[in-house]
Amino acid sequence: METGIRVLFLTAVVATLCGCASLSSWIHHRQAARQAKEDQQTAQAEGDDTPPRVIDPQVERRKITVPKIKSQNVEIGLQYGALSIENFGTNPVYGFTAAYHITEDFFFQGEFGRSQAGQTSFETLSNIQLLTPSERYFTYYDLSLGYNFLPGEVFIGRKLAMSSAFYLLGGIGSTQFAGDTKFTLNFGGGYRVLPTDWIALHIGVQDRVFQSDLLGVDKLTNNIEANIGATVFF
Amino acid sequence: MQRLRTVRCLLLLLLLAAPALCGAREYLQVFVASPYLELHTGPGRGYPVFHVVDRDKSVDVLARYTEWFKVRTEQNVVGWVAEGDMLHTVLADGSPFTFNRGDRAGFTQHRFEMGMFAGEYGGATLISAYGSWSFNSQLAAEVSVGQFLGNVSNGVIADIGLTHVFMPEWRWSPFVMLGTGVVHTEPKATLVQPLNRTEQTAYVGGGVRYYLTRRFFLRAEYKNHVVFTKLNSNEVVDEWKLGFAFFF
Repeated sequence: METGIRVLFLTAVVATLCGCASLSSWIHHRQAARQAKEDQQTAQAEGDDTPPRVIDPQVERRKITVPKIKSQNVEIGLQYGALSIENFGTNPVYGFTAAYHITEDFFFQGEFGRSQAGQTSFETLSNIQLLTPSERYFTYYDLSLGYNFLPGEVFIGRKLAMSSAFYLLGGIGSTQFAGDTKFTLNFGGGYRVLPTDWIALHIGVQDRVFQSDLLGVDKLTNNIEANIGATVFF
Repeated sequence: MQRLRTVRCLLLLLLLAAPALCGAREYLQVFVASPYLELHTGPGRGYPVFHVVDRDKSVDVLARYTEWFKVRTEQNVVGWVAEGDMLHTVLADGSPFTFNRGDRAGFTQHRFEMGMFAGEYGGATLISAYGSWSFNSQLAAEVSVGQFLGNVSNGVIADIGLTHVFMPEWRWSPFVMLGTGVVHTEPKATLVQPLNRTEQTAYVGGGVRYYLTRRFFLRAEYKNHVVFTKLNSNEVVDEWKLGFAFFF
């Protein structure tokens, strides 16, 4: 009898212990179940129908560093020529030019130049000076828009080809002459040839027009300049 | 002994710097993604096509001149490729080759712009030029210089300020300006007030810009300058001008 009761108690204890042992893994089991459910919900939310990944690819992308491309739109240079100042003869002129090439057709150009006027025929004959030496300096600057209207190539022999262009120029600026500064319109044209991609040689003609009352009558004066120049692109 | 060491150090430095001094330059390599890439003899639409690069072949980009790229092929052939054709090339990682273009998107957002104007400053004829640097598509810092030539006086003005563009994506986009500057006035010698003077100014203004084509746009603007004179009252000068500008 006593043995029967012991067996009964032992059975109850073993059953309880087994239950407790199985209960201890319930927490992890529930966590895992919750995780799986969350994953499923996330996958559903993303609408991802793709099968689970077997291998996670660890591909390292090549990083491309893009070197800066050198642009050759800026052109600067010097020019030298002859300027015919109305009533004051033709005299040497030297100048500086800077241009920015906006498209293959158009460019924006700034010019600065200086010359020294000679004598009018009246001054030569009468020996009376109309202007002081400092007033004889003819200094101008202008801002112009240029248009390459006849681009082409020049061939020297069989192997050498150089690109070239005729261009038209027109713009506004100012001229300081005879103790006064005048608003000046300029227009002209030129021819440019490039022996290499970064050097250009120019021949040009330009007219600078401004209102002058220097000789008593208010009139438009035309001052025509012919020049040669060399510029570099960078 | 000391001198010898210095000489050695210098020689070593020279050796290290040699590649840089020799002008070793790394060029951008792009791959042809279209059926072929045409190379022209010069940077212009009229120059003939003299060479063709096949798909998946690479070219080195040597330089850029306006809307043309100078490239060198794997066979060492050098030619010019149009900007539109370069859009169909890719970088080594397969991503498309992108660059700054002269179009409406460029008009909306660009870094630099320059322009020239003709106009009127207090009744005198004005010649002016400006340059600007954009912080973003709407706000830019601007510098402008000008010369005015009048019957009473001549002079130069220089301004620096900020410009805010409303609706930069519109073809007609209005803007407002605010800034400061100086004006140097030279009265004509025949008048009573012969002294040249330089005075500080402040201005507020507005205007409109209109996209023409490619990199060009028109710009019309008005500025109201207050000139801080040494007299009892300040002077107010109106400036109107119209000109063309380009962005890059």
